[in-house]
Amino acid sequence: MTLLLEKPASTVAPPEKAPYWTMRRRDQLAGWLMVAPQLAGIVAFVIVPLGMVGWYSLHEWNVLAGTFDFVGADNYAALADDRELGSVLKATGLFSVGLVVLNLSLALFLAVLLNQKLRGTVVFRTLFFSPVVVTLVAWTIVWGFLLQDNGGVNAFLDVAGIDGPNWLRSGGSAMASVIVVQLFKNVGLNMVLFLAALQGVPAELYEAARIDGASAWARFRRVTVPLISPTILLTMILTIVGSLQVFAQIAVLTQGGPGTSTTVLVYYLYQQAFQFHHLGYGATLSVLLFGIVLVPTVIQWRMRRKWVFHES
Amino acid sequence: MSPRLKVLVYGVLLVCCVPFVFPIWWMATTSLKPVTEIFAFPPSLLPGSPTLDAYRQVFDLQPFGRQYLNSLYIALLVTILTLAVSALAGYAFARIRFRGAGVVFVIVLTGLLVPNEVTIIPLYRMFDALGLVDTHWPLILVPALGAPSVLATFIMRQFFVTLPAELEEAGRVDGLGRFGLFWRVCLPLARPAIGAVSIFTFLHSWNLYLEPIVFLSSKDKFTIPQALTQYVDAYGGPMWNTQLAAATLSALPVLVVFVLAQRQFVEGLAQTGLKG
Amino acid sequence: MKLRALTAAATTAALLAGCGGGADTGSEGPVDLRMTVWSANAKHLALFDQIAAAYTKDHPDVGKITFEAIPFENYTTTLTTQIGGGNVPNLAWILESTAPDFVTSGALAPIDKDPDLLPSTTANWEKDGQLYAYPFSTSPLGVFVNTDLVEAAGRPSPAQQVAAGTWTWEEAAATGAAVQKSGKGGIVVGDFDYKGWDTLNSIWAGWGARPWSEDGKTCGFDQPEMVDAMSFVHDLAFTTKAMPGPGVTKDFYAGDAAMVLTQISRAALLEKARFTWDLVPLPKGPAGEYSVVGQAGIGVLKRGKNAEAAKDFLAYFTNAENSAELAQFFPPPRKSQLTAETLAKANPLLKPAQLQSVVIDGIERGDIKPSHTGYAELQQTVRAALDPLWRPDADVSGVMSGVCAKINPLLAK
Repeated sequence: MTLLLEKPASTVAPPEKAPYWTMRRRDQLAGWLMVAPQLAGIVAFVIVPLGMVGWYSLHEWNVLAGTFDFVGADNYAALADDRELGSVLKATGLFSVGLVVLNLSLALFLAVLLNQKLRGTVVFRTLFFSPVVVTLVAWTIVWGFLLQDNGGVNAFLDVAGIDGPNWLRSGGSAMASVIVVQLFKNVGLNMVLFLAALQGVPAELYEAARIDGASAWARFRRVTVPLISPTILLTMILTIVGSLQVFAQIAVLTQGGPGTSTTVLVYYLYQQAFQFHHLGYGATLSVLLFGIVLVPTVIQWRMRRKWVFHES
Repeated sequence: MSPRLKVLVYGVLLVCCVPFVFPIWWMATTSLKPVTEIFAFPPSLLPGSPTLDAYRQVFDLQPFGRQYLNSLYIALLVTILTLAVSALAGYAFARIRFRGAGVVFVIVLTGLLVPNEVTIIPLYRMFDALGLVDTHWPLILVPALGAPSVLATFIMRQFFVTLPAELEEAGRVDGLGRFGLFWRVCLPLARPAIGAVSIFTFLHSWNLYLEPIVFLSSKDKFTIPQALTQYVDAYGGPMWNTQLAAATLSALPVLVVFVLAQRQFVEGLAQTGLKG
Repeated sequence: MKLRALTAAATTAALLAGCGGGADTGSEGPVDLRMTVWSANAKHLALFDQIAAAYTKDHPDVGKITFEAIPFENYTTTLTTQIGGGNVPNLAWILESTAPDFVTSGALAPIDKDPDLLPSTTANWEKDGQLYAYPFSTSPLGVFVNTDLVEAAGRPSPAQQVAAGTWTWEEAAATGAAVQKSGKGGIVVGDFDYKGWDTLNSIWAGWGARPWSEDGKTCGFDQPEMVDAMSFVHDLAFTTKAMPGPGVTKDFYAGDAAMVLTQISRAALLEKARFTWDLVPLPKGPAGEYSVVGQAGIGVLKRGKNAEAAKDFLAYFTNAENSAELAQFFPPPRKSQLTAETLAKANPLLKPAQLQSVVIDGIERGDIKPSHTGYAELQQTVRAALDPLWRPDADVSGVMSGVCAKINPLLAK
């Protein structure tokens, strides 16, 4: 707590006379004081670095040679000529949309099942949550084994008489694999959040709906979904953010292949900046990524009042 | 619920379990297998001749206990700092109408949108200029105050928004100021949000991979995910069973804590203000 | 924590950003040196520390010498980040494939060339007649054979075939296919996994093929030798089935494969092998006998502090005496030490005959693996363009022309 008190006064307090301190003005000060540590952190660790990245993007930076030459908008012009960019953006969209849809549906589905008054749900809850606590790198390595052509998944399918594909080696199934590995890793988190939200829905509302003759689906649609909409918004933002930062999974499982079918934007950016040493161009891609994420998030945020129940 | 439906629900749950549990089971059991058994096809469910060699190696090759403590204390410190920062900010964004709140909120939200790969080079330069490379400071300060804490602030805000206005009005009548309202009235009700934030934050810090690799270089300062990648033979080839043993060791305690705390976590989250 | 101070410092850092950084600051007292390495192996590090301790004893002007192990997977990335961030190490291990990047960019300081070094080992590390890194590890590729599996499949052992002069790729493929019929793996190309295509160099060199011309300007993938070599590899994977297919792991060291093409230093992994094994040279290809060498160098970073002290330490670290010590892990580039006798001391698992045929002969006439400036980008681009080849019905020459179409703009740079 001491953190908060020493920092921000100079930046915020309007230098006014004492009688001026109405409750309203005091609120102004309190508000600023309370957000100050967070704001300072964001400025220092996000905004300033972003500004630096923007600056780098105007340069050709050869780390090894130690040269840093101003090239103006060349890197941005290179974006237009980049033949890979189209497929990279497509892969990014495919991954994010696929993950968000699957993750939210599965999380809600599991939460609804676990919300039934049944014995043993605590056990299932724990099992579904357990991958969340496994180190991501370890989880991915394990799935890498299981998804091999002669791995556990195909052995399992073989028993069921299905000839499984070579998961990580053909375009469509590689993308599906990466999505699914990420899905099982983190769906437990969203599931627990949904479960908590579901348990907060008052039973009387269901009773009332039932008396009105609403079907189970209608009750879910009309009662449950509106009441848990804040959680839906939260999980959606969580998942989208997570999906755009998917990195270790791609690095371990497919390295962006086969072809460039699983090269998503963050991975491409990492390749350009760190592997190919095009730091200036990498920075340019960062700026692009930032722009791409910003737009839908802002739209979603502005729309939330329309569909998120609690924020009317 | 009819017995038939019950059987169906249990059946579905059991099938759903497989992709969650099998990899962990495989990880744990494979860490007990000698190397020769790891690649056997079809994969065996139990080790044929179990051995604890891998576990011995985990501690022989690196100061794993020390690295464990590093991860643990960093994650705890980050969690506590994040709670302080995010509870205050979340409260202010949710309940105080101060000038500029909208702009500040948008600025803060940018933190959600910036992948860590984007800012790692400038951050590295900053911490290097401060002489803090190869210390734990970047791993504590950046998550607690920077981009990762935004999510926490967001969760806190979402929670505080749902508290009824009457609560604070009653507090005002009792003569509480803003900090009093926050500390005495709202924060005690925020246990569920605190629980959620704690779990997110702790896990995020516990799993951090790119940052430790970039910032740390001394073995006794390493964190666990970084240490995992160091179990390699003389030629950079991974020592699978040792890695898996270390991974199992890193997952188990967190799993145990979750098992113990989950009732409070899940049910606590449901019990309070969310009911409206 | 003083947030304000931190913010201020951050702003300062922002202003400093982009100015190169890492300039020499006149330092007082003993200087510390740091070498980045990718081996986290305890035995390696113990030996390095031992050499460093002996050095600092005689050099009071040098304080602490640290060896910083960075995981192999992230090695070049982390090194680049350190350099970009201004925290430049004094010395660094460098992979053969990134050698041109480091050598031509001017990141390295020139070092003295010991006349004992074999010319074939230094070629990759020179520019305008100057040596920029010491090729401390020059490891020829050989074929490790699981003789139990070969025998069980009813095939003559590769050693017999070498003696009879019939050790060719045709024969190796037949042996691999025979073993693979039994459910084990046939021929494994180490670290290939249908992604690390450059390891196939150990095969296509036998066809006289090259990925690009000597000057690095012309694509070689669509040349007839390369198309033939890759058709052969494609057949190994899908027609003769002498090589485990894509997405199938067969671990030679666990006894699951008949042969592995890899660096001889991996012999150490066979210490506890429960099968009998042998080491033979690469099979003869249509273009005759050949050999391939994998390399790693140590360079002095020009922008690291105290480059002179670092150069001096490197000279000591790699002098004849220490080179002989290092030889137990890393085959040396020194003529005087490339004798079966010296090497046998360092590699107790290998017989003198094996060392002579694979190591000594190999290093002397070995092809270094392909390298090029901007290698990482080429590596990725070729990897992506080659992926369509790893299907049973692939059109080999079509795919190979496609590879050239993709990399020509990169080669032209």
